[in-house]
Amino acid sequence: MEVVDIRPILAPVLSFACAGLVFFMGKNTFWRAFWSLSAAATKLIVVFSMLPGTLRGTVYVFKLLDFTPGIGLGFRADALGMFFAIVSSTLWLITTVYAIGYMKGEHAQVRFFGFFALCVSATVGIAFAENLLTLFLFYETLTICTYPLVIHEETPEAMKAGRKYLTYTLLGGAFVLLGSVMTYSMAGTLTLSKPGILSLSSGVTALSWLFAALVIGFGVKAAIMPLHGWLPSAMVAPTPVSALLHAVAVVKAGAFGLLRVFYNVFGVAVLREMPIVDWLAYLAVFTILAGSFIAIFQDNFKRRLAYSTISQLSYIVLGATLLTPFGATAAIAHIANQAFAKITMFFVAGSVQRTTGKTQIHELAGIGYRMPWTMAAFTVAALSFVGMPLFAGFVSKWYLSLGAFEAGKPWFAVVMVASSLLNAAYWLPVVYLAYFKAPPGTVLRIEEAHPLLLWPTLICAAYVIMLGLTTQVPGLPFSLAQAAVRFVFGM
Amino acid sequence: MIDLLWTNLDYAASVILFCIGLYCVVTKNNLIKKFIGLNIMETAVFAFIVALGVVEGGDAPIMGVGASAPFTNPIPQALILTGIVVAVSTTSIALSLIIRIYQHCGTIEADELREME
Amino acid sequence: MPASALLVSVIIVPLLGAVLTPVVGGRTGKASGPWAFGVMLVTSAIALALIVHVANVGPFSAYLGGWEPPYGIELRFDEFSASTAVICLLGTLAILFSFRYAEKELPTERIRYYYTLLLLNLTGMIGFVVTGDLFNLFVFMEILSLSGYALVAVSGEHTAEMAAFKYLIMGAVSSLMVLFAIGLLYALTGSLNMADISVRLAGAAKAPAMLAVAALTVGFMVKAALFPLHIWLPDAHAIAPSPVSAVLSGLVVKTGLLGMIRVYQIYYGAKVLDLSSLNMVLVWLGAISIVMGAFFAIFQEDIKMMLAYSTISNIGYIIMGLGLASQYGVIGATVHIFNHALIKATLFLGAGAIIYRTGYRNLTDLRGIGRSMPLTTAAISIGAISIVGMPPTAGFLCKWYIALGAVEAGHPIFGFALVFGALFIFVYYIRMVNTFYFLEPVHPEILEVKEAPLSMLVPVLILAALCLVMGVLGRIPISFIEPAVIRMLAPLGG
Repeated sequence: MEVVDIRPILAPVLSFACAGLVFFMGKNTFWRAFWSLSAAATKLIVVFSMLPGTLRGTVYVFKLLDFTPGIGLGFRADALGMFFAIVSSTLWLITTVYAIGYMKGEHAQVRFFGFFALCVSATVGIAFAENLLTLFLFYETLTICTYPLVIHEETPEAMKAGRKYLTYTLLGGAFVLLGSVMTYSMAGTLTLSKPGILSLSSGVTALSWLFAALVIGFGVKAAIMPLHGWLPSAMVAPTPVSALLHAVAVVKAGAFGLLRVFYNVFGVAVLREMPIVDWLAYLAVFTILAGSFIAIFQDNFKRRLAYSTISQLSYIVLGATLLTPFGATAAIAHIANQAFAKITMFFVAGSVQRTTGKTQIHELAGIGYRMPWTMAAFTVAALSFVGMPLFAGFVSKWYLSLGAFEAGKPWFAVVMVASSLLNAAYWLPVVYLAYFKAPPGTVLRIEEAHPLLLWPTLICAAYVIMLGLTTQVPGLPFSLAQAAVRFVFGM
Repeated sequence: MIDLLWTNLDYAASVILFCIGLYCVVTKNNLIKKFIGLNIMETAVFAFIVALGVVEGGDAPIMGVGASAPFTNPIPQALILTGIVVAVSTTSIALSLIIRIYQHCGTIEADELREME
Repeated sequence: MPASALLVSVIIVPLLGAVLTPVVGGRTGKASGPWAFGVMLVTSAIALALIVHVANVGPFSAYLGGWEPPYGIELRFDEFSASTAVICLLGTLAILFSFRYAEKELPTERIRYYYTLLLLNLTGMIGFVVTGDLFNLFVFMEILSLSGYALVAVSGEHTAEMAAFKYLIMGAVSSLMVLFAIGLLYALTGSLNMADISVRLAGAAKAPAMLAVAALTVGFMVKAALFPLHIWLPDAHAIAPSPVSAVLSGLVVKTGLLGMIRVYQIYYGAKVLDLSSLNMVLVWLGAISIVMGAFFAIFQEDIKMMLAYSTISNIGYIIMGLGLASQYGVIGATVHIFNHALIKATLFLGAGAIIYRTGYRNLTDLRGIGRSMPLTTAAISIGAISIVGMPPTAGFLCKWYIALGAVEAGHPIFGFALVFGALFIFVYYIRMVNTFYFLEPVHPEILEVKEAPLSMLVPVLILAALCLVMGVLGRIPISFIEPAVIRMLAPLGG
C-alpha cells in the first residue's frame, strides 16, 4: 500500500537544514553542537515514526517533480530503504556526540560539522531514493560532501588521499550515470519501486554490460577489489569521519546501491539467467579473503580496520549474488551488523588515540588495564567479527551459509569459516595484547576516555549484542530486513 | 581528365586561386600578407559564383533599348555584389585591427607578437 | 498585427535601433545604453508573440517585398527559430549588464558604438535563425561575425586586438566556405530558398552535393568552434568584455550549430546523400571536443579562460547529439543549444561582475570571494551545477537525452565519453566553487569587496533562476521542439 507522506523527503531535508544552520551559526560552539544534535535527534524520530507503518507493509512515497514523464526526483520509504535509513540515522546521532568530544580544539569545525550533516542528508536521500536518478544525485552529493572531511587535516598526505578518493568515486559515479542511461533506454523507466524492471528480452549480453557498468559504479564505494584503493588512503581523515563515512555512510551507500541494482533494477529472476553474477561472487570471495589476509599484516590500527572493512563489505555482495532469500537476508542484515561493530572499533581507535596518543597495534600492550571499558567494547566488536554466536556478526554468517546451501553452492559456507578464522587471526591477538601482555612494571591506573567518547562507544557495543540476540523480536531492524526480502522474492 | 579540366577552366582557376589564398593565410607571418591571402580567397569564391551564372554568348542582364536574349544569369552577380560589400567591411575591420596592433606593439609579425605575450 | 509583419519587424526593429543608437546616444553616449535596452525589450516582446504563434499554428513564413520564392526572400519561423527568444533575452540582459561596464572601461566617445555593435550582433543572430533563404543566411552571418570581431576588440587592449584578428581570419575563411557551398547549391538547384533547395536537390549530382555539404560543415564548425577548429575561441571569448563573452559564448557559437541544423534540414529532406559517415565523424569530433575542452579547462587559472574551454566541451555535446541523428540525441542537442546559452551567460556575467568589483581574474586571487559577494557567487554556483548536468538544473535533461540518444543509436561508447566529459567538467567547477568559498584569501582586501551593483546583479540572478526553472520545467522546451525534430528526421526513416 502506497501512502503519500512528507516524511521520506523530510528526513534528508532536516539534515540539509542542519548543515545550513551550522554553516551560518557554527562559529559558536554551543549552537554548532545544538543544531547538530537536535537535527540528528529529530531525524531519528522522523525515521522511526515511519517504522510501524513500514512493518505493516505501508510504503511512504513523495514525488518531488518530474522533468519529463519517467524521469524525475522522488522519494520512497520501503523496507530496504528504511533499514538503511534507520542504521544511518541512529549512527549519525551517536557519532555526532562522539565527534563533539573528539573534535574539541580542532581547526575548521564549522566546515567539519556542516559537511558532516550534508553527508548524512545525502545518505538518507540514497536510502529513500525512488528512482535510479535520485539515487545517483545523492550518491554524487555524498562523494562531494565527504571530500572536505577526508582532507580535514589539510596535510599533503590528506590532500593526496582526497584526490585519490575523488578520482575513484567520481569515476564510479560516472559509471552509475552511464548505467542509469542504459537502464532507461532498455526499460523505459528508472523506478526502484518494483522487484526488477528489466527483462531478459533485452538480451543477456546487453544486460551483462549494464550489470558491469552499475556494479563498477557502486562497487567503487563498496570497495570490491580491485576498486578498493581509495579506502585505506582515506583513513587519514579524523576518526569520526572514518567511522561514520568509511564504515557506514560511504561504503554502505555503495553496498546499498548494489542491493538496489540486484533487487529493484534487475530482479532476481533475470539475474539467475546471467552468468556474470557468478563472476561477481568469485570476486567477492576473493575480496573477503584477500582483505582479511592483508589486514593481518597492518600494524596501524585504522589501516587494519580499513582492510577489515573491505573484507566485510564483500559479505554483503556475496550474500546478494546468492540470489536466495537467506542470502538476501544476510546481505541486508549485514549492513547493520557490520556498521555497528565497525563503528565501535573506530570509536575505540579514536578514543585510544585521543587518550593515549597511540595509533599502532603493537603499542596497545596492556591498554586493557588503562581503558577497561573501551577495550571491553572492542572485545565485543572483535567477537562479532569472528562470528561468535550471540553477537551480530554471527547472524550474518549464519544466514549467509544457509543461503549458500540454499543456492546449492556449499563451498561459500566454507569461505565463511575461513573468513572467521582470518578475522580471529587479526582481532583476537589485539584482545590478547590488550589484556594479557602488559609490559612489566605497568601500574594498574585507570585512565578512561572522555565520557563524550566513551559513552557512544559503549552504546554501539550494546547494539552489537542486541542485534545478535534479537533476531526474532518483531519491530526491530531484522524484521525489516525480512520484510524487504519478502518483497524482493515475492513471498 | 584534361578535357574535363579544359571545359571547366573557370572553375579550375578559382579553385587554384582559393588554394593560393589559403596558403598565404596559413603560412604568411605578416598580418597584412595573411590578410591579402584572405582577399585572394574571397576573390576566388566570387569568381566561382559569377562564373556559375555565365551563359554562352549571353549579354549583360540590363533591360532597355537594344537588350536581347540570351542574358547571363543576374542572380549570382547580385549575390556577389553583396559579397563584395561584406568583403570590404571585413577588410576595413581587419586593417583597422592591424593598425591598432602596430600602434600598441610596434610590429605586425605574428611570431614577434606571439613572443610578446 | 499579422504574423508575417511581426516576423519582418523582429529583424527591422533591432536593425533600425542599431542604426539610430549613435544618434540617440549623442557624444557622451549616456542615452545609448537605455535606448539599446528599450529596443531589445520591444524585440523580445515581438519574439514572444512569434513563439506563441508558432506553438499554436506551426511554422509560418513572410515574404520580403511580397515576392514569393524562388525569386523573393523568405523569412521562415519554425521551432528552431524559437531561439530568437533566447537571443533576445540574453541580449537584453547583456545590455543591462553593460551599463556599468561601459561606464567604467570604455572611453566616452566609444560607448554609443559599443551598443551599436551589440545590437547589430543580435540583429544578425535573429536574422540568421528566422531566414528561409540561404544567401540571406550568409548575409546575416556576416553581420553577426563582423560585429563580433569588433566587439572582441572593443576594450582596446592589444591582446584583445590580436584575439580579434585571429577570430577574424578564421571566421572569414569559414564564411567563404559557406559562401562557396551556397554557390554550389545554387548551381545544382537554381534556387536559394532552403525548402526549395531541399526539394530540388533530390536528383542532383552526388559529387558537388557532397562537396557543398563538406564546405558547409567545415564552415559552420569553425563558427561553432568544434575541435580541431576551436583554436580561435579561448582567446576571443576570454579577452572580450564579459557581457560580450556571454553573448559570444552563449549565442554566437550557437549560430554555427543552428546553421548545421539548417544543413541537415536541407540534406535529410533531399535524401541525395547518406550523411551517416559525416555524422560519425562529427560524433567522434564532438566526443573529442567534450573531453579535450574539459581537460584543458582544468588547467586554466583565468576564470574566463576556463569558461571559454568549457564552451568548447559543451559544443562537443551538442554536435554529438546532432551527429547521432537519433530522436533523443537531436532533441537533447537542440535543447542544450538553448540551455547552454542560459548557463554560460550566467557564468560569464557572474565572472564579469566579480572581475568588475575586484579587478582580479585568476582563481588564486579570487579565493574567498564567496564571503564578500555571496549572491553573485551563489548564482555562479548554480550555473556551475547546471553545466555539470546535475538534476534538477537546466543542464541535466539535455545531457540525459543526448546520452539516451547515444544508446538509442547503438553507440553506448559515446554515452561513456559524454559521462566522462561531465566528470571532468565537474572537477573544474568544483575547483572554482572551492576557491570561492573554502580557501583562505590571498588578498585580504577581497573580503572588503562590495556585492555587485544592481544592474549587474539582476541579470545574473535572473539567469541563475532560469537555470533552475528550465531544469524543473525541462519538459516544456523538449515538447516544443519535438515535432520539429521528428519532421527533420522523418526522411531518415525509422
